[in-house]
Formats: sequence, C-alpha cells, structure tokens
Amino acid sequence: MNKFLLLKLTLTATLFATNIPVEKVQMQIFNRSVELNAQIIQLSNAQQSITSLVAGHLEKYYVKPAQFVKEGEKVALIESIVVSKMSADYLALKEQLNATGKNYKATKNLYEKGMSSMQELNNQEIKRSEINAQLTALKSQLETLGIKADKLTSATANFTLYAHSSGTVSALLKPLHSSLSVSEPVISIVKNQAYYVKSFLPLEYANKVKVGDKIVVDYADRKIITHITQIMPKVDELTQRVIVLSSIDEKVSDMFIDVYVEAVLYYSKSFKHLAVKKSALSFFNNEWVVFVPSQNSEKSTDEEENSEIPYTLKVVKIITEDEKYVAIDGLDRDEEYVSDKSYYIKSALLKSSLGDGD
Amino acid sequence: MLNNLIELSLRYRTLVIVLFITICVFGYRAYTEIPVDAFPDITPKQVIVYTESPGNSAEDIEKLITYPVESALSGMAGVKLIMSNSIFGLSYVSVFFEDDMDIYFLRQLVSERLSSIDIPSGWGKPELGPNTTGLGQVFWYQVKDTTNKFSLRELKEMQEYIVSPLFKSVSGVEEVVGWGGDEKQYNVLIDTKKLQSFDITYDDIIQALQKSNQAAGGQYLEFNREQYLIRGAGLYKSLDDVRNTVIKSTQGQAVTIGDISEVKEASAPRFGAVSIDAKEAVMGMVLQRSGTNAAKVVEKLKKKVQTINTALPSGVSIDAIYDRTQITHKAVNTMTSALLSGVVLVAIVLFIFLFEFRSAFIVIISLPISLLIAFLLMDYYNLSANLMSLSGLAIAVGMIVDGTIVIVENSFRLLHDKPDSSKFEIVSEAAKEVATPVTFAVLIIAAVFIPLLSLDGLAGKLYTPMALNIVFVMLGSLFVALVLVPVLVFLLLKPSKSAENVVMKAIKKAYTPILLLALNNAKKILALVSVVFVILAYLLTLQGREFMPELNEESIMYRVIAIPGTGLTQSLQTSKDIEKYILKNYPDEVNSVLSMIGRSEKGETAQANYMEILLTLKDGIKDLPKLTKQMSEDLEQTFTFVQFVPTQPIAMRIEELLEGVKAELAIKIYGEDQKTLDSISKDIQSAISGVRGLERMEVETQLGQAQIKITPDYLALARYGISVDEVMQVIRNGIGEESVTQKIEGVRRFGIVAKIKDSKKSIQAVKNVTLRSKSGKLVTLNQICDISITQGASFIKRENLSRYMVLSMEIEGRDVASFVNEADKIIKQNVKMPAGYYIGWAGDFKNMQEATQKLMIIIPITLFLVILLLYTAFNSLKKAMIILLNVPFGFIGGIIALIISGIYLSVSAIIGFLAIFAIAILNGIVLVSFIDELRAKFPDVELKTLLKDATLLRLRPVLMTAFTTLFGILPLLYATGVGSEIQYPLALVITGGVISSTLLTLLILPSTYMLFYKKEH
Repeated sequence: MNKFLLLKLTLTATLFATNIPVEKVQMQIFNRSVELNAQIIQLSNAQQSITSLVAGHLEKYYVKPAQFVKEGEKVALIESIVVSKMSADYLALKEQLNATGKNYKATKNLYEKGMSSMQELNNQEIKRSEINAQLTALKSQLETLGIKADKLTSATANFTLYAHSSGTVSALLKPLHSSLSVSEPVISIVKNQAYYVKSFLPLEYANKVKVGDKIVVDYADRKIITHITQIMPKVDELTQRVIVLSSIDEKVSDMFIDVYVEAVLYYSKSFKHLAVKKSALSFFNNEWVVFVPSQNSEKSTDEEENSEIPYTLKVVKIITEDEKYVAIDGLDRDEEYVSDKSYYIKSALLKSSLGDGD
Repeated sequence: MLNNLIELSLRYRTLVIVLFITICVFGYRAYTEIPVDAFPDITPKQVIVYTESPGNSAEDIEKLITYPVESALSGMAGVKLIMSNSIFGLSYVSVFFEDDMDIYFLRQLVSERLSSIDIPSGWGKPELGPNTTGLGQVFWYQVKDTTNKFSLRELKEMQEYIVSPLFKSVSGVEEVVGWGGDEKQYNVLIDTKKLQSFDITYDDIIQALQKSNQAAGGQYLEFNREQYLIRGAGLYKSLDDVRNTVIKSTQGQAVTIGDISEVKEASAPRFGAVSIDAKEAVMGMVLQRSGTNAAKVVEKLKKKVQTINTALPSGVSIDAIYDRTQITHKAVNTMTSALLSGVVLVAIVLFIFLFEFRSAFIVIISLPISLLIAFLLMDYYNLSANLMSLSGLAIAVGMIVDGTIVIVENSFRLLHDKPDSSKFEIVSEAAKEVATPVTFAVLIIAAVFIPLLSLDGLAGKLYTPMALNIVFVMLGSLFVALVLVPVLVFLLLKPSKSAENVVMKAIKKAYTPILLLALNNAKKILALVSVVFVILAYLLTLQGREFMPELNEESIMYRVIAIPGTGLTQSLQTSKDIEKYILKNYPDEVNSVLSMIGRSEKGETAQANYMEILLTLKDGIKDLPKLTKQMSEDLEQTFTFVQFVPTQPIAMRIEELLEGVKAELAIKIYGEDQKTLDSISKDIQSAISGVRGLERMEVETQLGQAQIKITPDYLALARYGISVDEVMQVIRNGIGEESVTQKIEGVRRFGIVAKIKDSKKSIQAVKNVTLRSKSGKLVTLNQICDISITQGASFIKRENLSRYMVLSMEIEGRDVASFVNEADKIIKQNVKMPAGYYIGWAGDFKNMQEATQKLMIIIPITLFLVILLLYTAFNSLKKAMIILLNVPFGFIGGIIALIISGIYLSVSAIIGFLAIFAIAILNGIVLVSFIDELRAKFPDVELKTLLKDATLLRLRPVLMTAFTTLFGILPLLYATGVGSEIQYPLALVITGGVISSTLLTLLILPSTYMLFYKKEH
C-alpha cells in the first residue's frame, strides 16, 4: 500500500539528484494519545480509621504501623472510666435484679397465701422489669464496645479496640497514654487494592474523553493499565485541569499514594481521515502545501525536457496529526503526492520563479 | 636652475657618487621592507557594528536593534552611507565614512555613540566589528584531528581556547574567527510535568540556577601576624553541583534541579558549519589588522603554528587551508618578473641602438637606481608593493630611461663632434642643451598621471598606487638623469669613432624615402590619418565597457545558495553531496573541497541557506578557466535545487564590499513594505528577462522564512494569572536555549541552559510546552497564546534608513553599460512603482560609471595642464598644438589593438590611453625641440630639408625611447600569472599606441610642422 510508485522516477531522476518518492493519499486511523500528569490516589472509603467509641486513656497498641491486620484483630487497649462505670453499673444492676427477683418470689408467695395485696405484687413486678430493662440496655451497650457482659465478674476499665476490616495499619494516630474523646480516630488502616489514578486533563482533551478509555501510567518503570471510571464534573481549581479518575485493573499492592506519575491517555474513539506523511508537508507562501505530480507532465516532457518541474502544489488544511501522518483536507483519496524530499521540489519551484533561464 | 644643478653635480662628482650609493642602499632596504600585498587596500573607511541577539527574528531585530543603532550613528560627521542587514539572530550595521578620516578616530566616535543607544535588556549588546579590511582574511586553517578521537565539540573547544588565543598574540592579528563544530553547553532538561508535582514554576528554576552559581570575596582576617583571605567559592564545579541546586525547600525537604530535570552536556544551537571532504570540521580565519603587512603577519602566523601544534593534544594539528600570501606572492611575482624582463629587454634594446658598451651601461644603470628611488618614496609614503603599484613601475620601465638616453645620446654626439673642447665643458653643454625638454617631458608624464590621484571610490583606491608609483619613478629618473648621468658620462664616456651602427644605418636608409614622401604629401597624409582617427574613435564608443577585468586567483570557489529558510542540516548535507561529487568526478584536479555553511562566529551576515565552497586544486592544471566552466556546468546540472555562483576568495570579499551587493550588477529597489518590494522585483524580472546578455537573475528573496509566531493572548493570560514576561522567558530560555548562567571551567565558560525537554521536537511540541503560574495553574502555550505559522522576513536590508531589496544579475557577452541603458529604459516604461518606491543600479557597474564620470572631468584638466607645460617649455602655443596633435596618432594604435583583441574598455585600458598620451607627447617634444634647435642654428636652410635632416638625426633617440617603452611593457602583455589579466588591457593599449605613435610621429609630425611653419619660414 504505502510503497513508492516508481512511475515518475525516470523523469525526475534527470531533474533531481535525489529520487523523489511518490505515494497515494490514504485513509489513516488516528489513534490519538495524550501525555498527562497523573497522581496515584486512594479514594476516601479505601482509607479507614478506627475510632474509639468511648472517651478514655490510650493504654496500649497491639499493632505497629505497616502491620497487616485482619478483621476483628485487637489493635489497641483503652482504659475508660465510662467503661469502668458501665461495667460496675452492670454488675450492680445484675445484683439488684437478683435481689428484686427474690423479693418478687417472696411477695408472690405471700400473695398466694393472701398475706400481700395484689398491688404489692404488681409493684414488685414493675421494679423487676425496670431493672431488667436497664440491665439489657447496659448489656447491649457493653457488647457494642466489644465487652461480653455475661462474662463480667468484676468491674473493668479496659476497652479493647478491634480492627473492623482487614488492611495495613497506615498510621497510629494518637500517642500512647493520651486522652481520647469520643469517636476520635486512633488508628488508620488502608484497605488493599483500592488505588486510583487521578489524571489532570487540559480542557481541550477532556471533551473527547469517555468513561472506559484507557490510561496507562508509568509507575516506577512499570506500565500500569487503568480505565477511566469517572470524569469529575468540577475542574481542579488550582491547576485548572479536568480530573479524570481511572481504576487500576490489576491486583497491585504496595503503591505509594500521592505520587505524581506520567500517564498516557488513549482515546477509544478512533478518528479516520485522509492523510499524508508528515514529510510531505511544505510551508509555501503562508500556507501548508503538498506537492503532487502534474497531470499533463507525461505529455509535455517529451517536447521540453527539464524545462519545467513536473509537480504542482496543492494547498492543504491540517486537521490533526500523529507521529508520522497528518490528516488533511485538500487532496483526494488515492491521489498521488510527493511523500518525502518536498524541499527539493520547493527549491526547484522557487528557483525557477527567480527567472534562472538560459 | 637646471644648468646650475648640472654644473654643481659635475663639479662635486665624488659627492654625487656617494649620494647615489647611499640612495641605493636605502632604496634596497625599502624594497625589502615595504609591505607586500596582492591588492591595494580598497576597503572603504568603514566601521561595522554588529549585535548578536540569539534566537530573535529579523523583524524584531530590525525594530529593536538595527533602527536605534542606525539612527544613533546617522548624524555623525563624515558619514557617507549607512547600510544594515537584520537577519535571524544578528543585527549588522555598516557605516561608511569619507576616505580621508582616521579609522581609529572613527571607531572611537562610533563607540561613543553606541553607549547612548537604548536596546532592551536581553537583546544583545552592540559591538564594533574587527578593525580589518575586506582583504583581511589572511590565513584559514583547520583544526585537524588525524586520530578521529576527538569530537567536533572538543575540537571547537581547542580552537576557541588554545588556537585562537595563541594566534591572537601574533602582532598584526586583529581577530580570529572560528567556524564550524559544536559549542558545548550544559542542558538542564526540564520535565514540565514535574512543575506541578513539585509545586514550582519555570522562573523558580532559573532563579535557583542563577542564584546558586556565585562566588564572593570576604576580604581577609589576620591570624598570627598573617593574612588569611576569605573566599566564597560558590561557582558550580561539577554537574552534580547543578543537580543539587535547591529550587525550594519545605519542612526541611529540598526540591533540587536534579529532581525536576536531567542535567547533561550538549551542543548549543548553531548557525554555521564547516565541512571538508564530506566530513564536518572545525576551522578558523585569522583577520589581519588594517594597515599591517599581510605577508609579515602570515609569516609570523606560520611560525606560531608550530607552537600551537605542541600545545594541542597529539594527533590534532593546525592544517593551513588558505593563505593569502600565496596569491600575493604570485601576483607580486607576476609583476616583478614583468619588471625584470622589462629591464632586461630595455637593456638589450639600448645596447643594439647605441652599439657602444659604455653609454649603454650608463643608461642601464639609471634603470635600477630610478626604481630604487621609487621604492624609497613608496616606503616613505606607506605604499605597499602590490599588483597595482608594481604595475606602475612596470609600465614606466620603458620611460625611465628616456631622459637618460637623451642626455647620453647628446653627449655622445657632442663628444664626437667637438673632440677639441674639454670633456667637462662638452658634457656640461650636452646635458644643459637637453635638460629643459627632458625635465618637461618627465613633468608632462607626471602631469598626465597626477590627476588619476583625484579618482575616488574603488577606482581611486585601485589606481592611485599605480599613478603614484609612475610619478615616483619618473621623478627618480629625472633626478638620476640630471644629477648622476652627467657625472657618469663625464667619468665613463669616451669619444667614439663612429656614432652610427649597422642597425641604425639600415633603418635610416629605409626611412628616408618614406619621410620625403610624407613631407611632400603633408596635407593628404594628415587628412587621411585624421579620417582614420575619427572612424576609430567612433568604433571605440561602440566597444564594450567594464570596470575591471576579473583577477585570476588561480582558485575555484562557489557561492551556493539554497532557498531561504533552508535548515543547516540540509545545507550541510547539500555541501557534503557537492564535495563528494567534486572529489569523485575531478580526482585529477581537486585535492580537497571545503564548504563553509551559514555564518562564522562574528559579524557575518550569511544564513544557513548560504554556502561557500572552496576547492584546493592540484598543481599543474593547464586550463583553469575551462575547468571552472566545465565544473560549474556539471554542478548546476547535478544540483538543480541550489544556485551556483562561481567566484574566487578575494574577488568574493571585494564583491561584498561593493555596497553590500555580491554581484557585478544589481538593481536596488527601495521602499518600506517587503511584500511590495517583492512584487516590484518580480515585475522587473519579467520585464527585463528578454534583454540580450542577461545570463542570470537572482533576487535576494527577503521573505520566505517560515516562522512559528507565538502571540500572547492577554485575556487568556489574565485568566491563568501568567504574565507576558513569563511566556517570553519560557520562549527565550526554555525553547530558545539562551543560557541562564555560565559554568566556568578555568578560563573556559559554557552556558547552562534551562531547556524544556522535547520542546523542539515538532511544531506540536512547541504548542504543548507547559507553563505553570505562581498560583499553580497549568497551561500549554497554545492555551495562552495564539500560535500561527507564517512566512516572515529572512533578512531585512536597509540603506540610509530605508529598506531595500536587491535584484542581482550577471551579464555575459555584452558590456554592462549598454545593458543597463536598455534595461533601465524598459523598466521605466513597463514597471509601475507605487509612491515611495524607487530603484537604483548598483554593483561593479556603478563604480565604472563613477570612474568614467570622474575621468570626464580629469581628462580636460590633464589636457590643460599639459598644454600649459608645453607652452611654458616652448613659449609657443603653435608648437604645443603640434605636439598635442601627436596624441590622437598615438591613440589610433591603442584603439586598433583593443578592437582587434575584443577587449572591453575598462579603467585599466583608459589608463593605457593616458600613458599613450604621455608617450606621444614625449616623442613630439624630443623631435620638435630638436627641429627648433636646428632652425635656430641654420635659419637659412629650406624648411623641408631642415625637417628631413632633423628627423633623421633624431631618429635614433625617438626610436630608442619608443622601443624601450615598447619592450618595457611587452612582458606585461605576455605575462600569464596571477594579476596579469588586470594589466592586460593596459599593456595592450600601450603597445598599440607606442607603435602607432612612433610611426606617425616620425612621418606626420614633420609634416604638420611644415604645414604650420611653411609661411613663417
């Protein structure tokens, strides 16, 4: 297809020291790609913090930073007055419940014997239910904190923090023996395989991009393929660029977050257009031109050899370009054009217009 | 007075001898010491101001540099003409001054003015060009690496830091200009994507580089009675220093140059290259300071080469490419050999005529002594020995002896006639008798040539040395004739038995009847000759004209011009192809081919599309013109996409001096708008393309330079908070590679360039260059600027503050003057000029025109002077007229010689006619004065008989002077060496003139005399 047509070469060889290659205008697919700046990020749900549910005093960490933890694993120990009070209350209420239970039984016996009034019995019943309700509430609270109330035998201030999901400990957020308030994050855990690439696109490219387009990032000499999952509706105000999120396909772990990387965006929408080789272009009289062999050159050269240059120029409009080809308007499909060394033809044309006659 | 002088010198003979020995000694010393050169210095008084402004376009340079420089210099005293050329990266302003001003004073004046010029910072600084002449490039050399170990960059570094300084230390060297090779620089290749990553701007990087590379002095402290200097050594020492330069730091974390870029050694963008035998090379040109002796400078340079070779690494050496002394020696040799053979021929002629050893000796000895006196005067007046000045001597050789001949001959005759008188009296009388005519004859010769001194411009510079030298040597000969010759005659000459020799007798026998015939038909002959003269004079007006015949430098050189806007890489490739082609097709004739592409380091105005190709030829080439022609045709057919203009090294420089037009003929089109100029030039081209004799037309297309024009969009800039300054900084430093600081290595300095990586890979890449504003916004150039591709000026030429365009042409097979007449008429009829646009002719032709106009004034003055002298000598206007009538007779031969040989009428030929003028008058004087003398002695003799006797008696001196002049000039006619072609028309005219003038003097002068004085008698 893209082979030199040797038709004109016999003729041009007499004219030019160098052979002028001729090719035909062809449709070309312009699979465009753009280089971008990108950043490796983790979306906010991928990074989790373990918070303390109670205020207290941080006694001990069971984990170290960068340690992998499984869900339910102990991560920290907190000494909390709240827990201590709750557990003490629980035990006390339990005692109370026992006592009211006994009281109720006794009152019931008396009632059956007619020694107590119905009202008395009802009062006892209400009191027992009340205490039981309090106890159940407290128990459920304790259980929320991960304390098994049933097993409590004595009051305790210890509150153990467990990992609520598996991941890597990314930071211990509070120093040891510091006081904690309620719902303060203590440890942050990074969930694995939740990296994203945040690419910054100039506006002109962003219009043409679609969800699902491929972005390849260059991460520490590794090419990582991602696909666009989201085009953010709001531009990054700082850089004035459109942000595109793409998720990393492979199972990649151990990436450094927030690092800037180089990315290449490939448009999935392919663009087809008539194209010539880039080497065919020449800038002539303020316009881009491509040289084409003259139509009548074969006839005329018989009589006046060498006196005329067997090429004419055609003005073209550049639509787009890639490394090797330029999409142009102004030439027809399969039209022959000079694909290289247009400089020599331009020289010959300009020279002859200087009136270098004999 | 003359008589007293003769008496005195005869009386103090010893003193005279001693005086002349002294003169000879000093004369010889002068002969060995005077500067030797090929040409007289024809450079106009010129100061060049050039401003390097790397990376900037011709339009901007014209606006921001050239115009301010021009206007500052235009109001100066003595300024004749200001020409300028603004090209990509360079402004070149050349100021021409009146010739009588001192160059150092002028340079001083110009540099004073320069200090007041306001050029925007970053746009370069105007500098004075080297103080050298157009012929200043005396020595070209290559820094040759035979081992192939060194890169071009390294060779260039050697050229700049080893070779150039050593050559500059040679006295007489003004400048050493390097050409070719790459200049080293350090590139900090910035990855603009990282600007965002590290939160910095381009400006931060530049600031960091500039601020880090510093040194400081901290004075001193005293410790234990000693002084310790404190020195802050912050200059970059290694590339790691550059890499570690901190751009900014936050919380103890530094962002360094190394983080955002790659630092490495690279080559600076270049504007010229050199290729020798299809291989890139590094060369240098040594410029000689104006007013120094080229031969001596080159001699010293050659000695210095040995020193330099030892300083260079082994395997690298200086290889001379072109050496001006070669041509100088050749030219001077041509002239000296002509001079010497002239002397020998004259001696032989004298001996044949005199047939007496002693008298011949006296005459011959007067020759070298007169020449030595001339050398003494040359030395005194700082005249160099060159083609023109020496040719003056060669022309005069035959005339030098005239005075001596007359005196010796007269003494010889008197000694023979009056054997009884004392020798002292005879010699004294003989000398006194002819002293007046001899003196006047010499004065007349001087008078003929002195007006040439008033020629100005190129003709003046060329021919003044010649005229001066003729005057010098004639004055010398007069001094010798009046002072030394009588003494020598007294000491050496003896009364001889017979004054007549065989040759003379034979000539007289043949001549007498012809003379009688002429005297009898005086009127008819005079009429005939007059008619012949009128016809010939008419024919002469039809003869072609040219300014100066081409000097044959025995070398071949081409100017090769590709289309404007051609890249250096392409031109380099073209040059290499041409070199290969020449070496392949002419292996027997060509040793080596050198191409110089684009421009050298300093003050050249060539662009990358311009190449100069010099061939080094093998010895023993027989027909150089034929070879040149064949080669030119071959090259033109093979390399159709470029233009070849054959030239020669010196000729090329001279052509360039001719008001910036590198062609023998050119039309300058003046006006403001380049596009209009362009269209006018096209109109002119089509109008005159049919004129006969037009060989080649070449328009200096000033447009045609493709530009990527980046125009800031203010609205967009405001949107992103970026200033124009930042954009321009990125264009200048980041794309344009202007160095932001220098890495100093010893004395060597190399630029450090903050280059944006891959920004020059393609047009698209320029558009995509990313900038980051201080607030962090990221934009591409395309977003904030309007980037368009346009065709702009590749250079802008101006003359006296007005733009112009040059249409140069080559004329073949026709004289330039008539071509100009015809073409000018056609242009006036057919080409419409808008208001404010006009044309002017320039080039060689203009010089010819100026010279001719000047000669039109000079010749009448000369005529008047000569008549005045003749009148004083003879005290009779009639006789003056008789002698002057001799002049047209002399011209007849000259004109015939010119017409037959088909040589154009050049300034050289015109000077030949001037010489004939002198010779004819000389012949006339000798004869007329003798006739007068005889008439006084024998008043009763019939005029015709008297005339016959007088002419026969004077035949020998007349023939002798004629033959000596003829044989003196003959070697010039047959010379073939370098420079001979310039003197050829002159020699031709004189030869023809001498023959006709002598013949006609001997026949027609007596006849005219008879016609004038018949009644009186």
